[in-house]
Amino acid sequence: MRTIRTLALAAAAAGALAAGAAHGARGITVKGSDTMVILAQRWAERYMSDHPGAIVQVTGGGSGTGIAALINGTTDVCMASRPMKEDEKRKLRDRYQTMGVELAVAKDGLSIYAHESNAVPSLSLEQLRGIYTGGITNWKQVGGRDAPIILYGRENNSGTYVYFKDNVLLGRDYSPRCQTLPGTAAVVNAVARDPNGIGYGGAAYGQGVRELGVRREEGSPAVKPNAETVRDGSYPITRNLYLYTRTRPAGDVKKFVDWVLSPDGQQLASKVGYFPVH
Amino acid sequence: MKLKAWIAVGLMVPLGMSAGSWFATAEAQTEADSVAAPAAEDPAARLEGLVEQVQAIQADTDRMKRFKFSGYVQLRWETAENSGDTVKVAGTTLTPANVERFYIRRARLKLTYDASPLSQAVVYIDGGSDRTIRLLEGYLALLDPWTTDHRHQFWAGQFNVPFGYEIERSSSLRELPERSRAENVLFPGERDRGLKVVMPLTDRLETVVAVINGGGISSADFPTTDPTAGKDWLARARWSQGVFDAAVSYYDGRQLVPLTGDDIEVDRTRLGADAQLYYELPTLGGGSLKGELYRGANVNADSVTALTVSSSVGRLLRPGADPGHFDTDFLGGYVMWVQNLGEKFQFAARAERFDPNTDLDHDQFERVSLAVHGFYDGFTRVTVSYDIPRTEVPAGAGYDDVPDNLWTVQFQHRF
Repeated sequence: MRTIRTLALAAAAAGALAAGAAHGARGITVKGSDTMVILAQRWAERYMSDHPGAIVQVTGGGSGTGIAALINGTTDVCMASRPMKEDEKRKLRDRYQTMGVELAVAKDGLSIYAHESNAVPSLSLEQLRGIYTGGITNWKQVGGRDAPIILYGRENNSGTYVYFKDNVLLGRDYSPRCQTLPGTAAVVNAVARDPNGIGYGGAAYGQGVRELGVRREEGSPAVKPNAETVRDGSYPITRNLYLYTRTRPAGDVKKFVDWVLSPDGQQLASKVGYFPVH
Repeated sequence: MKLKAWIAVGLMVPLGMSAGSWFATAEAQTEADSVAAPAAEDPAARLEGLVEQVQAIQADTDRMKRFKFSGYVQLRWETAENSGDTVKVAGTTLTPANVERFYIRRARLKLTYDASPLSQAVVYIDGGSDRTIRLLEGYLALLDPWTTDHRHQFWAGQFNVPFGYEIERSSSLRELPERSRAENVLFPGERDRGLKVVMPLTDRLETVVAVINGGGISSADFPTTDPTAGKDWLARARWSQGVFDAAVSYYDGRQLVPLTGDDIEVDRTRLGADAQLYYELPTLGGGSLKGELYRGANVNADSVTALTVSSSVGRLLRPGADPGHFDTDFLGGYVMWVQNLGEKFQFAARAERFDPNTDLDHDQFERVSLAVHGFYDGFTRVTVSYDIPRTEVPAGAGYDDVPDNLWTVQFQHRF
């Protein structure tokens, strides 16, 4: 009798789960990096127009949010402007017994934005590090006018925030004076309005602001992000943009990522302002 | 009829008063507006004001983000094969004799405060199986400033004993409802107080060294004293390839058996080895094979029979009892297979064995455990598991297995 009750309860639990599983049929969901939102939306629009019946839903929230959604099973594909961290891979492995599949789908030159009126032509990586960690606080310290530097940056769930911190600040913490904003577009808007502002973000967003050249060393030539400098790696803050899946892509997800990596998908990445991965 | 009338009056009076006060407020507001009607305000100035407000809110929000709450709740329904069963398999005190019951196995809340990228504090409490809330973990962690991912760490406080694989693995992630019997016996409560240093030697190789009281949070002496004069210490080296991880662990300690007169101090040395291999199958998804081995010397639970304990004579050895029996060589371990069945279901099977005294026969514990998980969403998991333990007990001229198989249905939500 007790075994029958056990099995009945187990069956009820399985039924509830099956209902939950059935709830999952809703096309392909893509979530994550705000840097990649515009790009992924363009990909989705073109893909759906070329593949009638296909549904691709794109939402932002930041790379960290997208990776969390991938781990929690609330998105099929995660877009991230930074590689997954070891502890994120461990969480994915704990749940799905896999390490996830990483697909580099575009390249981006992380641009440094300043106001149109700012006369500073370029900054070295060391100067950028000094500015964003709070050691350099006035534009005259880097060859500009006598005015305080107003820092704009991204929130800590942003892949751009993490990438900049790891690769430019070398892991040091941002200055507490850095004002965090919820997207690259917001950073660009803030810098466009602030003559003393400085910000960073994806190359595709640099409208209404001036992109500063970046020098790898103090005496190195200043380089601005473009297709050539990003491809050959001479622009010092070049990064890959990624799509992640939990397991090897299959079915509709595989068709979509295959298309993203096809010449059509890569050409669209160039049109949006990013750079092909190959 | 009378009652209805009173209800109507009771409702209308406050409503009327509310309406009256609203009209009065609205009228006063209109007057105020007409008196203080401002000149056309500069939109840019208003925008600046809003930006400042948003920045102030942002600063407050950033401070709040330093607090992170997480936790999980596990509700269980268990039915055991006989009324003499021990349905609580973890901990030193076995709860007897419920054939079938609902209970909350774990209800845990963790608060992490990230003061900066270089330090954090953690408080972790459990209100599940006991009637009181108890502190499971409480520690501070200092992280190194010289690497980008801050992998060198120093911990001080109460935390999971860094030995082997399953101890530090959260119960909310484990593929079977309980850890292995060897772990339950050797590290009851899984946690202890002390210091821990994490030192990665390469990207793949991480070492941990810790000094702890010994005995753990479930020991009778916890938390006030550490009966042994010296501290226990342990070390672990783990190689993490991603699809293949392996570690060796070493624990060195002493345990005091208090007696009236001279106490007996016995060896508590443990060696451990564990490995995990991950793979992926088309259609089904990820899977893994895991194994862990424990061996060493430990205070044998049976040694309590060698004591006479009473308020009049204190704690004495029974006549003829062998003090050497307090400390016996043990050997235990498990192998486990986990296979995802698509993304919504998962299967797990484990075979384990624990021999508390390798010099004796018929004292071994063996168990096969099977489980199927269903994931309702990213946060909720339903588990149906079946445990088939085998414990030999004297029966007639030989030994027999106690009928104590156990069905468990568990609902878990993580947040």
